[in-house]
Amino acid sequence: MSQLDIEALKKEWVGVQFEERSFVLDPQNMAEYASACGEVAACYTDPTDPDFQAPPTFASSLQRGRGLPEHFPKMPGLGMDAGKAVEAFAPIRPGPKTSRTHMHDIYAKTGRSGRMIFLVIRMALYDPDGTHVANADTRVVIRERPTEEDQA
Amino acid sequence: MSVATVREVTFGEELPVFDPDTSLDNVIRFTEAAGWRGPRFTDHEAARKEGLPGALVPGIMSQGFLCAMIHRWAPPAQIVEVDTVFRAPVIVDQTYHINGVVTDVDETEGRVEVDLTVTNEKGETRVFGTAKVKLPV
Repeated sequence: MSQLDIEALKKEWVGVQFEERSFVLDPQNMAEYASACGEVAACYTDPTDPDFQAPPTFASSLQRGRGLPEHFPKMPGLGMDAGKAVEAFAPIRPGPKTSRTHMHDIYAKTGRSGRMIFLVIRMALYDPDGTHVANADTRVVIRERPTEEDQA
Repeated sequence: MSVATVREVTFGEELPVFDPDTSLDNVIRFTEAAGWRGPRFTDHEAARKEGLPGALVPGIMSQGFLCAMIHRWAPPAQIVEVDTVFRAPVIVDQTYHINGVVTDVDETEGRVEVDLTVTNEKGETRVFGTAKVKLPV
């Protein structure tokens, strides 16, 4: 078996949306999240504050459900959470939201211990009026097992 | 002293060190609020059975600590972007310190960049990140 063709994988899967969810953000959960993280300002911890909102990283907690697209090729190793990123465009307020998740990027890095494949999965978060509130990225890293050809 | 405007920020400035609450009670509270329940985060024994050194602080909680640290330093800060790399596990009930340093300041646009690291008591980096922040001019 040869190594995965990253360019072919990118061509087929980058940009593919594989999940859309609708849900309602509960102000009490948002306030508890903020307090547990160490936030102290009322705009994050008190749902009665007129500017109440979640800290932007709350968006990362909304990335749930299917981790990869259906029929995505089996990866040649165990996937691990390598990191997360959030881009904030508008405050995250309580109430209804929609998220759409797509495969944002696929790339590989090669080091002394072999090749690592990175999958970047992006969830975009929207208000009911279509306002793009935030992007939350998850980077999954897979350390590729050496193939028989590599070991020969 | 907390920061109110970008003019109070200097390149190379170190943020006040923040020691996050990684106690089991607080992590359980976090996982319930975030909807990320799971024994690997809330039960040391269950985590050890999975081959982990103990219950894990969720990566998204470490990310939340970084934001809280910035907001404590500069309450009006709007965090525009935060990128976090999970280098090694953060273990529940252990002591960690978060350090931050200002790596870029744009006084005209009110933009600041901060590098952040979560280290354990041995000084080993477990998580690091970069935040882009907007402050009043």
